[in-house]
Amino acid sequence: MDDEEEQKKLPDLVKALVHNLLSQKLPPNSPPLNPNSPEFQNSLRYAHRILSSHLTPSITPDAASIAESIKRRLATQGKSSEALSFADLYTKFASKATDVDNKWALLHLFNIISQDRKTAAKSQLDASNLLPNLTLSDNNVTRRIDNRGWNDGVLLLAKDPENRRDIAFREFVKLVKEENDVTEEAMVTDVLYACQGVDGKYVKFDSEDDCYVLLDSVRVSRSTRSMVHKLCELGVLFKKVIGYIKQSMDRFPAEDVGTVGQAFCSALQDELCEYYKLLAVLEAQSSNPVPLLCESASSRNYLSLRRLAVWVAEPIVKMRLMADLVEKCRVLRGGAMAGAIHLHARHGDPLVHEFMKRLLQRVCSPLFEMVRRWVLEGELEDIFAEFFIVGQPVKAESLWREGYRLHDAMLPSFISASLAQRILRTGKSINFLRVCCEDRGWARAATEVATDTGATARRGGFGYGETDTLESLVDEASKRIDKHLLDVIYDRYKFKEHCLAIKRYLLLGQGDFVQYLMDIVGPELSVPANTISSFKLAGLLETAIRASNAQYDDPDILDRLRVKMMPHESGDRGWDVFSLEYDARVPLDTVFTESVMARYLRIFNFLWKLKRVEHALIGAWKTMKPNCITSNSFIRLQSTVKMQLVSALRRCQVLWVEINHFISNLQYYIMFEVLEISWSNFLSEMEVAKDLDDLLAAHEKYMNSIVEKSLLGELSQSLYKSLIVIFDLILRFRSHADLLYEGIHELQARITESSLSSRDQKKTRKQLNDKSAEQGSWIADGRKALTQRAGEFLRKMEQDLDAISKEYSSLQEEFISQLPVQQHVDLKFLFFRLDFNEFYRRVVS
Amino acid sequence: MDPEAARSARESLDLAFHMSNILNTGLDRHSLSILIALCDLGVNPEALAAVVKELRKEKPPSQ
Repeated sequence: MDDEEEQKKLPDLVKALVHNLLSQKLPPNSPPLNPNSPEFQNSLRYAHRILSSHLTPSITPDAASIAESIKRRLATQGKSSEALSFADLYTKFASKATDVDNKWALLHLFNIISQDRKTAAKSQLDASNLLPNLTLSDNNVTRRIDNRGWNDGVLLLAKDPENRRDIAFREFVKLVKEENDVTEEAMVTDVLYACQGVDGKYVKFDSEDDCYVLLDSVRVSRSTRSMVHKLCELGVLFKKVIGYIKQSMDRFPAEDVGTVGQAFCSALQDELCEYYKLLAVLEAQSSNPVPLLCESASSRNYLSLRRLAVWVAEPIVKMRLMADLVEKCRVLRGGAMAGAIHLHARHGDPLVHEFMKRLLQRVCSPLFEMVRRWVLEGELEDIFAEFFIVGQPVKAESLWREGYRLHDAMLPSFISASLAQRILRTGKSINFLRVCCEDRGWARAATEVATDTGATARRGGFGYGETDTLESLVDEASKRIDKHLLDVIYDRYKFKEHCLAIKRYLLLGQGDFVQYLMDIVGPELSVPANTISSFKLAGLLETAIRASNAQYDDPDILDRLRVKMMPHESGDRGWDVFSLEYDARVPLDTVFTESVMARYLRIFNFLWKLKRVEHALIGAWKTMKPNCITSNSFIRLQSTVKMQLVSALRRCQVLWVEINHFISNLQYYIMFEVLEISWSNFLSEMEVAKDLDDLLAAHEKYMNSIVEKSLLGELSQSLYKSLIVIFDLILRFRSHADLLYEGIHELQARITESSLSSRDQKKTRKQLNDKSAEQGSWIADGRKALTQRAGEFLRKMEQDLDAISKEYSSLQEEFISQLPVQQHVDLKFLFFRLDFNEFYRRVVS
Repeated sequence: MDPEAARSARESLDLAFHMSNILNTGLDRHSLSILIALCDLGVNPEALAAVVKELRKEKPPSQ
């Protein structure tokens, strides 16, 4: 088609258009429009006038950008499905409709018409009543001014006949131009630069104030200046964040940033990626004009400072948060860092909350991985010391107590202390099994846990915010591992059997064994400690075992029983240093540690002393037992001596009975009310113990109860001391009683002898000459002298016994009087047993 | 016009009509084809839009 033909076609087309438009408005049943009517002619003229006004299009002829703007408008109006189908149609249209040349014009036309219809529909409020879109481009304004004179072509002008608005507007533009050296576009570009941490042409970084400032030499309005300042906060924050990331990454190989720190940096970097994307889009948009469509349509750059402020409102919140975190975490590492970040996560703002959650999920993933490996494999995979559990190399026996501990500073606050404790114990159990028990069975238990808790146990399967999952995993793991551990301890290492063995041998529960041991070891122990051979004692122990029912015990247990000589000082007797020892090997030495064994030793010493005293009393009784041979032999004595003898014997018997009452009741108390009850409590606690810690606690309780109730504790020291004094006194009584009875037997022998032949007398005298001087001297004298001697001896013994008896009753009174005032331990049964008929209470009062 | 061109022209018109419907312009097919033709002749679309708007606003011509 050539131009001429086109020009000819134009009027026809216009006429057709006008006809079409007008006939649309006709009522449905009216006659067709008359093309010659004056109204039609008017409209046609009007249309021609509008068309012939040489208006130039206000936008750049770019179909794609117009389509984009239409799509966006539809989307913002909430018609996203329309927006999509429009985009679809447009792509088809752009590729197929080859015969339509001016696609952009068509689209633009649609856009304007649809907006016109909408504004018309919305209200009768004419857009021209509002302020025109203020634009600072010159030609726009001048064009408007030029357009003056048209009367009805441009409505805006038609409604403002004086055109005061345009004049005012022009003045405003002039004013603005005078005030500002720099156009807003340049400012936007600069601000965008600043947001990437780069100095712009006008906006520079001021390191003194730590912010971006608009150069003073640039003349801009105050509002612009403050706006720029506000927007550039983003740049400052960005600089901070990127600085931190760079710093961490730089020092990574040399210093330990830690996996959590690395995860944090990577998460930050991802967030920054989002931010970069936004900046790129903004930058691309900043130079594009926005297709604004109304009569007052004026093309201008898409981004103004104000628009920018809206765009960056959300990123600035995030950036502020990140900068804050970076500031907080600069010196923190590992769990402490995760904890610090977690503190920020409890935020009411859903945006912040969501952001923090995302960040924390990344940051915590190494931490959770460590927990997983620790709980399921017992591996402490923590090169940078970030985990809240730290291990230290220790000997096998203290692995459980000291090998691992919680590092409180590294415990993030989203893991509760009890959960942390459980996590610690589970891994510790695994390590304990591996190192001390040389057990492999835990691996199966761990696998079961992994399959049971299912997908959650995968590497990185759970993360921050899934504390429930973590908790169930830990619960499950700890339940099984602990059960396995206890099974191993009970079944393979026979914990219960060893406890029982300790009770039987160290706590003297095996009566026949103790009795026999006392019998054969006793004579050995009376000599000074430094002359005793522990080998010989070990041999005697062996003999005692063989002679008693202990021989039927497990050889493994008997093998562990040893004699131990405590370090002795000069003057110590064998009694003071002798003790038995039980060798608890790995892994049971975790329970029977050295300090625990030392306490067993103390208990043993006390019980051994008690046993010795009892043994001594029984020995005394053997000699004291009245029988008819002794009583018959007294008949031939003089009555005075006889009376003396009987009274001395009686005194001795009475004292013995009193002492025996005390000792046997004390022993009853120790055996039945202390040892057996503690043991039975310990057994029932052992049954319910769920993990090794429970077991240790139960054993500790058992030990404590024995120590306290046997008056060995700190608080019963005075009682214990008086008890020891009583023991000593009893031993002294025994030697006196022995002396007495020896004297009596001597006397008896002498009397019998005097009635025998002189030959025999001589023999006996010879034998007796070897004995002590006092005794030997009796024989030399005659019968009278003998009687006199006996009287003296008996008087002396009686005095001694009197002294002992007095001392004993005062000691015992003191002891008994202390019993009811003990606050920390219940001694009322002991008190009742000792003083069942209130005899001592009466004496005291 | 050969049938090929006619068909492609109709397709283009269909697409344009769809778009115009989505945008709720209220134009019928005939008006749309005229407008396309006018646009192809290089008439300013803003002016065309003004014509459409004005003529719609005008009272229906009395018969």
